[in-house]
Amino acid sequence: MNDHEQKYLEGLNIDEKIDFSKKIINDAISRFGQEKIALAITGGKDSTMLLWLFKNVCSELSIKIPKCMFIDEGDVFTEILEFVETLKKQWNLDIVIAKNTDVAGKVKKIGDIIKVKDLNESNRQELRNLNFNEDEFTFEPESYIGNHLMKTVPMKTFIQEYKIAALATAIRWDEQEARKNEEYFSPRTNPDHYRIHPILHFKERDIWTAIHKYKIPYCILYSQGYRSLGAKSTTYKNSDIPAWQQDLEHTTERSGRGQDKELVMEKLRDLGYM
Amino acid sequence: MFDFLKKGKKKKVVILGIDGTPCSLLRDLIQAGDMPNLSSLTSTGTLSPMFASIPEVSSTSWTTFMTGVNPGKHSIYGFMDLKPGTYELFFPNSHNITSPTLWDILTEHENKCIVLNVPSTYPARPLNGILTAGFVAIDLKKATYPESAYEYLNSINYKMDVDAQKAKQSLETFCEDVLVTFSKRTEAILHFLKNEEWDLFVGTITETDRLHHFMWDAYENKEHKFHNFFIDFYRKVDSLIGEIASVCNDIPFMIISDHGFTSIKQEVYINYWLCDKGYLNFTKAPPDSLEQIDSNTKAFALDPARIYINLKGKFPRGIVESGSEYEKLRMKIKEELLALEINGSKVIRNIYTKEEIYKGTYTDRAPDLVVVGNHGYDLKGTLNKSSLFGRSIFTGAHTQDNATFFINRTINDSKIHIMDVSPTVLKLMGIKYEFFDGKPLI
Repeated sequence: MNDHEQKYLEGLNIDEKIDFSKKIINDAISRFGQEKIALAITGGKDSTMLLWLFKNVCSELSIKIPKCMFIDEGDVFTEILEFVETLKKQWNLDIVIAKNTDVAGKVKKIGDIIKVKDLNESNRQELRNLNFNEDEFTFEPESYIGNHLMKTVPMKTFIQEYKIAALATAIRWDEQEARKNEEYFSPRTNPDHYRIHPILHFKERDIWTAIHKYKIPYCILYSQGYRSLGAKSTTYKNSDIPAWQQDLEHTTERSGRGQDKELVMEKLRDLGYM
Repeated sequence: MFDFLKKGKKKKVVILGIDGTPCSLLRDLIQAGDMPNLSSLTSTGTLSPMFASIPEVSSTSWTTFMTGVNPGKHSIYGFMDLKPGTYELFFPNSHNITSPTLWDILTEHENKCIVLNVPSTYPARPLNGILTAGFVAIDLKKATYPESAYEYLNSINYKMDVDAQKAKQSLETFCEDVLVTFSKRTEAILHFLKNEEWDLFVGTITETDRLHHFMWDAYENKEHKFHNFFIDFYRKVDSLIGEIASVCNDIPFMIISDHGFTSIKQEVYINYWLCDKGYLNFTKAPPDSLEQIDSNTKAFALDPARIYINLKGKFPRGIVESGSEYEKLRMKIKEELLALEINGSKVIRNIYTKEEIYKGTYTDRAPDLVVVGNHGYDLKGTLNKSSLFGRSIFTGAHTQDNATFFINRTINDSKIHIMDVSPTVLKLMGIKYEFFDGKPLI
């Protein structure tokens, strides 16, 4: 997709964006079938938006919402777990909790030491695949090792176990530079499957516009000032103002201000500087 | 005195920045025959280790380079800093630099400057010439001056930086991104070098630093899957050096880095240490930010290892009295931390008080103590660590005493500091300026 097309889609109004997303979802269901699709949900505003879109399309088609995958990486806000449980009841969702129970069962808290020899062969093979050859590691879900074992491994297991052909995720072009070249349908390997990205053209502000217009539920943490939600021990509140009232568009440049500061901090974390 | 009044031809200087490249690495690669262009240049020029700033992070070090003064004058102590009178972090950007930069001075003297990808130059400030900012830069349009330069960079799909998150996906993906970013960087550098007027040209590569953070082990371990990639990348850097040198002929040509690199033995989490010793406490566990420091806190740290005493009257919940209580506490922390060992090895090389290493109007903003680790001990100001030592995706750590300085001239100085580069440039260009802390090397 070229820049011109992206800019056109990003410039649509909210209902046009929703309609375009629903078209993507309809295409996905036609292509892969409801049984072979799964939704990656996190309890975050973007994935709830994705879920709401699927709910609407499936209702129109008189079919069930596809299976949902929620990855529990061992460091989840209580408020997120509660919110996901609420959604499950309200929207009658089939949610599978994807968790690396072998690793999770070896630790009590973040920072505990895990001995490699205590893990099962599958996890030990995963560590060898990463060229990790040490006898132990510290349990940090967001570290390279932790991220792989606690997120990537359970996701792979889920895809294989449920024979998922396409996994829908709620990424957006404007989230970060790396997303700029994503496509609505993107093939992946190991294991082979497609990613479906129905809300690429949404901007952060669009999410909040839709949430308020259509009264879509959202996690209470957003009211407390969190703008995006990640692992509990490494997600920082940006402000005490509710997320949707913060300066999402950064129309003026000022040091340390909202959007720039968050983006700066993200880049610094990527290189280990925070 | 009257040199700059001459109507004759302006003198030129070219600088290539290679972020994070230790002098020892270049010497090894020259020895191994992997950098023939640089090898040829060093046969008539000078390649030497250089001291980086303290702390040895890019924002502080590059700002020290571009101003020729210490942080006590230029105000950039790290990538993030404290809003005065609060525990809140802010991003000190190019507007927060409190000393004129090399290109500010040269602009005053009607010299044309091209400045590409130097860290700590975001957002772009106007100058006589062209500038596109380096790390941390978020928006290419804001990063670039003038508008026409942005249009060119946008048209070639210039990449401001490697996407470091790709290293968490796979090293293959990350390596591809390093190469794509470097090819756009090279394209832009050579385009402006060959097609635009300039008196000072500064082009900087930051892909080196990204490569070193994530893949230093690939360099040291010849059996590593990406060892050849690492060496090949430096061959590409050498090709760029060769192209620049062919444009320079006898124009002074410098190659500099802002810090060195070595392999990581351990990450060392300073705030964990402060908590463990009882100096740092939070109202919430785990804390979301430094703003949750409680009123029992005596000290806290910012990345990489800048320690602040929680001084009464300076911070909202400061409890340490200035004067003797402050001084005793500072020395106690210094002594205890200096004694830190792991497996019988000393972790800390030195701990400086602000008065020892910073001078100038803005020294009051400086950290009270700055810690420099022994090679391989990567000090971090991260919150929320649950142990003193740890490892992560990174295999390379910064060094302060092994940055790179090259010039295609013979010099004999044996103790080069990054603040000496700007004084050297101005002397080469025949311009007098007397407010540097650094000294000219020629």
